[in-house]
Amino acid sequence: MFALWIAKLLILLLRLRGKSATSLPGKVAMRLSPKLLARLCNSLERVVIVTGTNGKTTTVRLLAAMMREETPIITNAEGANLTQGILSALLAASNWRGRLASKTALFEVDEATLPNIASCMPVKLLVVTNVFRDQLDRYGEIDNTIDKIIAGAAFVRGTVLVNADDPLARHIGLRFAGASKTFGFSPEGASMTGFDGVRDGAFCLQCGAALEYDGYFYGQLGLYRCPQCDFSRPHPDFVGHYSQGLLQFHEVGTPDTSYRVPVRGLYNVDNLLAAVAAARVFGISSEAIRSGIDHFKSPIGRMQTFSTSPQSILNLIKNPAGCDSVLTAICADPAEKVVCVGINDQAADGRDVSWLWDANFEQLAEFGRVHRFVVSGDRALDMAVRFKYAGVPTASVDVVPDLEAALDAALSAAQSADGLSVYVLTTYTLIHKAAALLAERRVADVEIAYHRASVS
Amino acid sequence: MSKSLIIAHLFPELLNLYADKGNIQTLTQRLRWRGYSVEVRPVKATQSPELESYHLVLLGGGSDREQALVATELYKQRSEWRAAASSGLPILAVCGGYQLLGDFYQLPGGDKVQGLSILDMTTVPGEGRLIGNIAVESELCGSIVGFENHGGRTHHNHAPLGSVVSGYGNNGQDRQEGVHHWNIIGTYIHGPLLPKNPQLADFVLRSALTYADLPADLEPLDDRMELAAHQHEWARHTSKVQKTL
Ligand SMILES: [Zn+2]
Repeated sequence: MFALWIAKLLILLLRLRGKSATSLPGKVAMRLSPKLLARLCNSLERVVIVTGTNGKTTTVRLLAAMMREETPIITNAEGANLTQGILSALLAASNWRGRLASKTALFEVDEATLPNIASCMPVKLLVVTNVFRDQLDRYGEIDNTIDKIIAGAAFVRGTVLVNADDPLARHIGLRFAGASKTFGFSPEGASMTGFDGVRDGAFCLQCGAALEYDGYFYGQLGLYRCPQCDFSRPHPDFVGHYSQGLLQFHEVGTPDTSYRVPVRGLYNVDNLLAAVAAARVFGISSEAIRSGIDHFKSPIGRMQTFSTSPQSILNLIKNPAGCDSVLTAICADPAEKVVCVGINDQAADGRDVSWLWDANFEQLAEFGRVHRFVVSGDRALDMAVRFKYAGVPTASVDVVPDLEAALDAALSAAQSADGLSVYVLTTYTLIHKAAALLAERRVADVEIAYHRASVS
Repeated sequence: MSKSLIIAHLFPELLNLYADKGNIQTLTQRLRWRGYSVEVRPVKATQSPELESYHLVLLGGGSDREQALVATELYKQRSEWRAAASSGLPILAVCGGYQLLGDFYQLPGGDKVQGLSILDMTTVPGEGRLIGNIAVESELCGSIVGFENHGGRTHHNHAPLGSVVSGYGNNGQDRQEGVHHWNIIGTYIHGPLLPKNPQLADFVLRSALTYADLPADLEPLDDRMELAAHQHEWARHTSKVQKTL
């Protein structure tokens, strides 16, 4: 009880001082009582966990909106996906005697933390979005990440739902002893063109042969098969097809449905597909899913639109695969635009910025119709060099290390060129600052609703 | 100029950590901006390298598992590799690729992976990984900045690429980083290595062009952006005033 009270007190103090209590109370409570997490979890009845490299936050936000239509849930703050973040969420939802406000929880969990978390709660559903190489984990430890997810999945008493289009996620599904289900795009959305960057799933994890593809969706996601063994992309249990702002959703044995897509970018459509499939596995009706989507607000830095003058769209970039998805979405916007990229190299960003060279900035230089580039952050000059070697003339790049000045430079360049959109891309430690600065520069009170079809 | 400079990129499907792409991009762009024609040949592990047709070989780094596969492949042709290297074939080897040029590298579990024995060099595991920004002074090209991330500790009996001003280097002890022997450059520096170190990129290009019998007097390029990035990192990680580049 003591640890619980201290942590509750801390939450109260942080809130009184206007601070958010997303991780610190959990961290303190863990120090005082390592068993507190397991104790608090005792009264949970149903837990859904979303893990994977990219798309966790958006998927959780979407799924949370859908689940809330039917039941109150406990969920962690965006990005607070380590043990202390989950413990903080439980502490905030508990009273002084350790009773939780709800018996249902939905958590975004970091891949490496998954075994620890899954072992102490009743996980009914585990969703694996995808597995890519992360910049914080660049020394070839992707095998290790997969092992961690497999170890975590072993604690699931229910269903493991994986992305059928990702060979690494599929492998995890196959290694799960219980029921596993899959979601994926319909094959007509695949293409053979584009992207030839680093594909982490290039090899069959069952036998080691190089996988062959009949088409790609993005990154390593596509219609793969192993030429040597029987490993191949399955026909997904839940199939999604994107067209004209709608996700057509097909599930065996039920009539086809369609849902409005409240997010930009194909990878975000994939997150919506994951969320809808998870909601269906969880038994949520399509009416509740639909009204959940209407109540959804896009999380910070995921194609987040600000009604600045002209409008700006903020994106978090943190690894080549995620960055490439953002760049592809920007290229799919046919209008001219200004692009502002902020790169820091603090611990939370990843100290090593070499991943910038694995991301496909060439596509932006070639197909992006970018009127002007602004680079910012501690590594503004690295980004400027990156653009130079991607084929951008140095005269089109402004180096403005200070983020506020950079955003103003980008907005004013966009304004004087007939009000072009400004796409802002930053690493983790710049994203909250960028969101706050753009919010200050809003001209209307209302955020612009998602309106443009930006996925080709 | 009709003859192309041929750059072999070894085992891109296995050794693709640490943004080798950035090194290739830097080499090819700096040649093209000067009017040279250049061809990059990806050599997969299933093909056998045709050493006599290359003017420069790039060997990158991979995970332990991938690197062990590469070592097995390379070892089959070790006498060809030794002959080509001693007759002046330029090789740029980074991280894992660097370790493979020695007699062996030992894995944390104790197993020894046989290297090409091109260099009198060995690599053993140490306590913890050596990770962080690194700044090096080099006689070849002035100064080098980048990032290192390696578990292995490397010792050799050749000239180093440079001396460590800030960071760990080959083994975290002797303040040396990398190796320079014949036309071989081996290093733990990525980040990637060449974009922010244009003088080193041109040094590598000059030796490749000479080896290819192509004109090697490289015209200067407008490197203000690269040098600004270089100096910015140098200043962040060292207290030492830099010689003018
Ligand atoms: Zn196979």
